[in-house]
Amino acid sequence: MLEVSGLSVSYGLHRALEDVSLGVGAAEIVVILGANGAGKTTLLKAVANTVPAEPGRCVVLGGRDVSELPAHLLVEEGLALVPEGRGIFGELTVRENLLLGAYPKRARAGEAATLERVLALFPRLSERLGQTARTMSGGEQQMVAIGRALMSNPTVLLLDEPSLGLSPLMSGELFAALGRVRETGIGVLLVEQNARRSLAIADRAYLIETGRIVGEGPAARLRDDPAVRRAYLGEAAPGAALPSHA
Amino acid sequence: MLILDIVLGGLILGGMYALVASGLTLQYGVARIMNLAYGEVLVAAAFASYLLVTAAALSPLFGLVFILPAGFLASSLIYRVLLVPLVRRAKTREALEVDSILATFGLLFVVQGLAFVLFGGQYYSYSYLSVPVTIAGSTVPANRLLAFAVAAVLAVGIYAALMRTRTGTAIRAVAVDPASARLVGIDVQRVAGFAFALGGGLCAAGGVLVSMFLTFNAAMGVVFTMKALVVVIMGGVGNLMGALVAGLLLGLVETSVARLVDPGLTLAATFGLFLLVLLVKPTGLFGRAGR
Repeated sequence: MLEVSGLSVSYGLHRALEDVSLGVGAAEIVVILGANGAGKTTLLKAVANTVPAEPGRCVVLGGRDVSELPAHLLVEEGLALVPEGRGIFGELTVRENLLLGAYPKRARAGEAATLERVLALFPRLSERLGQTARTMSGGEQQMVAIGRALMSNPTVLLLDEPSLGLSPLMSGELFAALGRVRETGIGVLLVEQNARRSLAIADRAYLIETGRIVGEGPAARLRDDPAVRRAYLGEAAPGAALPSHA
Repeated sequence: MLILDIVLGGLILGGMYALVASGLTLQYGVARIMNLAYGEVLVAAAFASYLLVTAAALSPLFGLVFILPAGFLASSLIYRVLLVPLVRRAKTREALEVDSILATFGLLFVVQGLAFVLFGGQYYSYSYLSVPVTIAGSTVPANRLLAFAVAAVLAVGIYAALMRTRTGTAIRAVAVDPASARLVGIDVQRVAGFAFALGGGLCAAGGVLVSMFLTFNAAMGVVFTMKALVVVIMGGVGNLMGALVAGLLLGLVETSVARLVDPGLTLAATFGLFLLVLLVKPTGLFGRAGR
């Protein structure tokens, strides 16, 4: 569905992303794990072409080479990004935010049906359609952001830290919704701090360190990998001094 | 009756301010172009209307049918030729604002110079519907009343278009958050260019309406730019409703001061109100908090 290869990004002299290649299939959740500053956000931005990547990259979406397309045309091809900080239109109502999601031509014909599906996915939003988006809670705003992205009828959804700042209850609701998004056949590329929860729902995962992919595999295997558990799931290294319970 | 005189006169003046400012709020709030040549475009439209009325013996209302689209097209051309290079190289919206001030400052002198060459420095006016109409004991010239009616129709029309149509919502989305607008597939540069052209069309319409009852000359553009800018900032940059309300408010306050205190204090009243609004709501009456 989405195939990326040779993706590199530099901010001035700082190499933020180095020759990254990855893929996301249909009806698959792929999570990217990495420390702060490892390049996760840059990776999503570079795929969505909201930061300039270096020449030589190749982004193929649904069999079409879309490497050179600007951000707004990538949406037209079926790629939707929910950016860090959500990027909703705070001054507009929930309904306006969602309907703007269906601005791309690919989404206009099915607009009403998609809206129904999105509201079924996030029932909270249907009571809030007239509310100004900025006055909602963080979790509700995140639902607006994801709902807006789904309104563009995407084949691949990119999500940057959707659970950031949400209560455990709200992030649980959010991850459950992502599972239902996958059931509709959409491929999801997820960047997350919450490694435990994202590995629990994901099909595959990539590990990223200082701008390079350093590991990948099925989420189930990475969940049990001791190195991964140490680095991302907060477990102490073997042999480290553990507080004794005696 | 003095009160009715003030209200009628204030609404008519305010209606002109509101229309003229709504064009500028589209250019400044959506396209992020601080167009210092805005008033010059308005004066150019007034001269165009003068020529159509005096040379071609057309009614200014009929002239509007040509001059409004001409203002749209001319502004669209200005955006493409003069401003798109600036949009391309600007790293931030703030940088674009500064660049556009410099570029349109130059444009101001070009348009004003052309007007001086063609029309000289003297004042122009033409007579159209200058018959008194009596409303509940208060007398108003018919041309002003008509100008107000047309301004109201245009303002309501543009407001409805912004609120109800897909393109209108896209324009508001670009005003609020251009970075997110492209994530929903909006071609920000195209929508910004369209908003700039639309603002130019409204500006030209304002010029035609003003020329129906005001004497004008080639040097007057800056007055309109300044008034429009005051109204735009008072209402909240990029907020059409704000521009409309602030425009009407300014018209009412200016007329009240001129009639009740002293006509010489009109400008002082303008800036008094401006200061007061900014002290109470720094982002304008309808402005976003915490910008």
